[in-house]
Amino acid sequence: MRKNWFRRFSGVRNRGINPQGFHISQLKFYLVLLPLAAFMLLPIVFIFSSAFKPPDELFAYPPRFFVVNPTLKNFTDLFSKMSSSGVPVSRYLFNSIVITLVAVAASIFVSSTAAYALSKKRFKLKQTLFAVNTVALMFVPIAVTIPRFLVIERLNLLDTFWVHILPGLAMPVGLFLLKQFMDSIPNEVIEAAQIDGASDLQIYWRIILPMIRPAIATIAILTFQAAWNNAETSTLYINTESLKTFAFYLSTLTTTATGANAVAGQGIAAAAALIMFLPNLIIFIFLQSQVMSTMSHSGLK
Amino acid sequence: MTILRRAISLRLREALHGYGFIALWIVGFSLFTLFPLIETFRYSLHQVTVTAEGIRLDFVQWANYTRALFTDPNFIELVIGYAIETLVSVPIVLIFSMIIALFLNLNFKFKGLFRTIFFLPVVITSGPVIRELTAQGATSAPGIANIPAVAEFIAQLPRTLRNPTEYLLTSFILILWFSGVQILIYLSSLQKVDKSIYEAAAIDGASAWEAYWKITLPSLSTANIVNAVYTVITLSHFSENKVIQYVYNQTYAVQGGIGYASAMAFLYFAVMTVLLGIVYLFLAQQAKRERN
Repeated sequence: MRKNWFRRFSGVRNRGINPQGFHISQLKFYLVLLPLAAFMLLPIVFIFSSAFKPPDELFAYPPRFFVVNPTLKNFTDLFSKMSSSGVPVSRYLFNSIVITLVAVAASIFVSSTAAYALSKKRFKLKQTLFAVNTVALMFVPIAVTIPRFLVIERLNLLDTFWVHILPGLAMPVGLFLLKQFMDSIPNEVIEAAQIDGASDLQIYWRIILPMIRPAIATIAILTFQAAWNNAETSTLYINTESLKTFAFYLSTLTTTATGANAVAGQGIAAAAALIMFLPNLIIFIFLQSQVMSTMSHSGLK
Repeated sequence: MTILRRAISLRLREALHGYGFIALWIVGFSLFTLFPLIETFRYSLHQVTVTAEGIRLDFVQWANYTRALFTDPNFIELVIGYAIETLVSVPIVLIFSMIIALFLNLNFKFKGLFRTIFFLPVVITSGPVIRELTAQGATSAPGIANIPAVAEFIAQLPRTLRNPTEYLLTSFILILWFSGVQILIYLSSLQKVDKSIYEAAAIDGASAWEAYWKITLPSLSTANIVNAVYTVITLSHFSENKVIQYVYNQTYAVQGGIGYASAMAFLYFAVMTVLLGIVYLFLAQQAKRERN
């Protein structure tokens, strides 16, 4: 009797290792994972709830987590500020969307081709290049801002659309992660393709890319965020108002608002943060199924 | 055409294809990362003044470096703080993400949903969310360190242990939010482990506990190193990092200047390299021992 009770909760042996549905034996996993998952969700809940907080709750001490009297005032404030500015908001939005799409696609292409070469091709500079990349990965981006400005100036890229996209293309983190993922693809798969007469491009396109889909989705999420949240490029390299990004626009709105009225500024900042964050979340939800899809189809046993 | 083909040896062709694939990246990388990096190093040896005509450089040898190391009251302290924080955080992030990855690799209902949730930190720790959160003071749990019993406990600790413990207690939440990509990397290498090894071990009478130490952990040794490197780097590049903010402020400060900030960036970089070296040596040793 006692033994049966134990079996019911430990369960693995008599349910097989691949359960189709819920069983009491799985309860222990939820017991650990649910609290941790709730914990991971806290920041998202916080962002949503603080966007709807009225001023007195935003400044309450100790800060309150959930909103008590939700209000849309922060958003109406934000939109009324938007309609009073010179360039229409849709212009900034359009810029941001185009820039983000192009930047994500192009940087995935550049880093994945480079990672393919570094991981699966044999040539002399391979080790050196990867070492240089790792070094660059460690270097603080802020420190290179000024020399980078000079390079961009010399290339006549200042105040053009391209300056949003080009500097971010060769992303060291992207190459690092993609190369690590590609290293785990067995060489036999590529050799088999070569024997079947596949060219390098075909191998890259038909074999490598599908196999590292999870890594690519991860990079896509990371570059999307970098591009979408980038207000710095607009501040540093762009003078023409109609070439600036939505992120920059929102940041000016919140800073000017804080200058004039600190209390209203906080509310607008919270609402703007939510608006900036939503696309990140949406992209994440779209891509995460790719990320989490089985990463085990290496094709070899 | 055929003659030309034969003239190029196979190895050369392979190398050429390799360079072809990486060419785009090399161009972008050297223009926007490598060249600016070298320029920054040059600046760090100069007193840099921005004038209306352009940038004027006065060679000062290592003065910027000695200033950061010996004169500046804040820099060294910030860097030491950063080093301790990183060394405390890395094991926590690794252990936490490994545990979560082990859980997520099991089979239970709503697994996909949980995987998504634990991958969420990726969208949290960069961008507007974390800025808003730190602005609101939500990343730290100041309450814990102020509980009398805990405060008493911290006061009892020797000086060297006091700061790390305090950091651990106040920013535990923040540390855990850094584990998104790490969980993913662990999970992917867990899934690469051949199931039949476990079956063979089970037939030989190994318990799940033994299987974990003898099979799972050794097969995660590469993932350990990748994750450690990734963690150190994300922690060091985190936009709310105090050292980075200090360097940033000094760049545009009157008494600071570009040259000085560049020197500090390089020193910071050196410290980061040392940290990575420590972590790497530690884990590589582990990996080697497990392979034998």
